[in-house]
Amino acid sequence: MSEALSSPNIQEKLARLSPAAVRHYSQFAAAGKDEDLRALVFEVLKYHLPKTLAEAPPASWKDEARIIEDLGFDSLAMIETVFFVEDLFQISISNAEIIEVHTVGELLRFIRSKLAVCKS
Amino acid sequence: MRRAVVTGLGFVTSIGNGKTEVSESLRLLRHGFEPVEFLGNPRIPVKVAGTVKGFSVGSPNWRDWQYPSRYRYEPETLRSLSPHGLFALCACDQALEDARLLAADLGDGRTGLFCASAGSPFLLCHHLKQMEAARGERGSPMGMVASIAGTLNFNLASFFHIRGAVCGFVSACASSSHALGYAADEIRLGRQDRMLVVGAEEVFAENVLPFAAMRALSPSADPGTASRPFDLRRDGFVATGGAAALVVEEAGTARARGAPIYAEISGWGQAGDGHNVTASHPEGAGLAEAMRRALADAGIAPGQVDYVSAHATSTVVGDRSEALALKSVFGAARPAISSTKALTGHALSMAGALEAAFCALALAEEYVPGCAHLEQPDPACEGLNLPRASAEGRPQVVLNNSSGFGGSNVCHVLRRVAD
Repeated sequence: MSEALSSPNIQEKLARLSPAAVRHYSQFAAAGKDEDLRALVFEVLKYHLPKTLAEAPPASWKDEARIIEDLGFDSLAMIETVFFVEDLFQISISNAEIIEVHTVGELLRFIRSKLAVCKS
Repeated sequence: MRRAVVTGLGFVTSIGNGKTEVSESLRLLRHGFEPVEFLGNPRIPVKVAGTVKGFSVGSPNWRDWQYPSRYRYEPETLRSLSPHGLFALCACDQALEDARLLAADLGDGRTGLFCASAGSPFLLCHHLKQMEAARGERGSPMGMVASIAGTLNFNLASFFHIRGAVCGFVSACASSSHALGYAADEIRLGRQDRMLVVGAEEVFAENVLPFAAMRALSPSADPGTASRPFDLRRDGFVATGGAAALVVEEAGTARARGAPIYAEISGWGQAGDGHNVTASHPEGAGLAEAMRRALADAGIAPGQVDYVSAHATSTVVGDRSEALALKSVFGAARPAISSTKALTGHALSMAGALEAAFCALALAEEYVPGCAHLEQPDPACEGLNLPRASAEGRPQVVLNNSSGFGGSNVCHVLRRVAD
């Protein structure tokens, strides 16, 4: 993570999301807390929404929220999100893995498990 | 015989983003050039361009783009567009409104879409660099559909739910002329009742500077004279971009719904030079043949033509061959001739559709655009009627010429429709 954090590409990508995303990313890199990862992933999902939200702030998205049915994602937005997450965490996600991810909670757990594998 | 008529126009151009502004520019000979500096390098000998105003699309990330507030598009639409795709969408919205159509009307299966652009070398270059940086392991999922040739038809067909004919045309600077010609044929042959024809281009280093490498661009730094087709001192073209959209309909269908009718596309023709990959034929043989074929298709004699919208881009070789082609076709007949590229610049693959749309405007609004910036006509133009100022009048028949790499020449015949 520290290497990724120093990459200008990642910093640039994060800066596009929001100041909060930059903060949560740094805090997650330092302490590995779930709440920072959750907040960061919310920002990533919000950034890739295919339709403008009428209201419903992403903080209201529960872990049970389905990414396609509830958040309005389509397959292209999913792929964009995967691409972004791969870059952000320097992980590689296969198609077979991503089709198992349906909800916000599953995405969080998936990223967690991937990072654990990378560390070990 | 089924007839194809133009019922809607949309413009995003260096001389205006809408038909009212464009028409005023054509009448007053108001050009759209500004000083530019590509790649932050003052040594590049390209100093002016026909810039698109009101849009800020210089970032490869669509989230950074700014565009006029009358248009609003969702992220799901913008994310797969190139900058010229956004221009095209805005021009289509104008053309539909102008034709009194709703976007929903285009999904009837009787409506087709023909497009032309060179793709977006700007965006393609960005995505390929990104892929190289990731050593081929990752790439943007939108990179391809947003940037390759065909990006206009992919995106517009999807956005407007087109279920009729969908196709893109690639013949360099004759591309959108081919698109319009074949669109008219779709209607005349009874295959479709309505066609949306769109040309679009960008004005970035990636697609403009390659023409400087060919020594085809004017090195002039004066926006007021850099583009001067048919002038003895011309020294290359000035690039421009934007988008032009035309709604073309079967005449009976258009009349039945009370659509405004600008003009009939009464014929078209094309012919190759069979000569050189870049340079036009020295006597304009292919272009002359394209004009003859277009006139024959429309059943029009050269003496009936009131105005020719010339391809003339302001290059030394190209303008001369077109002048000779015009003389060989028209002989003693002397239609007014001008190249509106003196005002807009050369819009590359979009030029043919753009200038056909200008012709439709001129027919409907009753004027003929003059030859801006022409002071000393090339002796090769001796005998041609090159009016310096735009003139009010009622042109009945106009021709629109285009030529592209490889000696690909296209000519449309547009005709006033009886009131």
